[in-house]
Amino acid sequence: MAFDEKKVIEMLRADDASKSRAFEEIVRTFSEQLYWQIRHMVYSHDDANDLLQNTFIKAWQNIDSFQGYSKISTWLYRIAINETLTFINRQKAIQTVAIDDPDVNLDERLEGDPYFDGNETEEQLQQAIATLPEKQRMVFNMKYFDEMKYEDMSEILGTSVGALKASYHIAVKKIEDYFNNLD
Amino acid sequence: MKKEDTLILEKCGNRRPFTTPEGYFDNLTANIMAALPEIQHEKPAKVTPWTRMKVWVYAAASFIGMFFIINTAVSLTDGKYDVKTAEAPSQVYSDEYIESFFETAMVDEYTLYCSLTNTGGFNHL
Repeated sequence: MAFDEKKVIEMLRADDASKSRAFEEIVRTFSEQLYWQIRHMVYSHDDANDLLQNTFIKAWQNIDSFQGYSKISTWLYRIAINETLTFINRQKAIQTVAIDDPDVNLDERLEGDPYFDGNETEEQLQQAIATLPEKQRMVFNMKYFDEMKYEDMSEILGTSVGALKASYHIAVKKIEDYFNNLD
Repeated sequence: MKKEDTLILEKCGNRRPFTTPEGYFDNLTANIMAALPEIQHEKPAKVTPWTRMKVWVYAAASFIGMFFIINTAVSLTDGKYDVKTAEAPSQVYSDEYIESFFETAMVDEYTLYCSLTNTGGFNHL
């Protein structure tokens, strides 16, 4: 059954039972795409799962403040992105104490990850993506893996379509350079 | 027109190289829903007779407390800090001396009043 946003918002404004059913519908519709968005940023399944849980808990706790000015998906993506970026920054702060470059052992992490099944080239692509700044990385993942429209990305990230196109273009160039340096 | 990411797509494709534990997405909705906290409703404060009265009871208790504190303080200090005794002792003259002084000094009642009330016109005294 297709997701009826208008009906779901109406249910969110109703009694507790309807609210709970509406939220379950939201979780069912958006959890998988949010999971992949988070997973591409943090790599680990366990971290992605925790961040996804936190995203929905935050959304649930603030559901009454959702005014419906933006789409539910946009609102959820924003929460997920904030949660993910906060997590990454916290991880970086911890890892910087031990090592200079937090992404230096990504290849080891991916090789030891039972939930990574990429070949050598795919692993190299992940290494190349990891060298990008967070927001550029997010734009690249949304466009490259999810084939998301720039207009939708613009709503989620609060950045103009022009700036997103430029960001994606730069990201592609950097990744190409990364591969050229490997050859 | 050639897409800008064609080179990368040709080399790597855009398949996600990640997997999840088996059945992860089947149970995801249920797991997330189970982890949500219960809905908290803010209950409107119940107005009881005590709620209405307590402001006045507290005010009355404060006044009674203040009354006892002041009363106790006054009774403890009673006589110890007499204002008259606290002042510098003034010189005491006998009635006879004052009467003879007025007879000889030619001072009328008005000048005496000014002298006693410090209102001027008696610097000669």
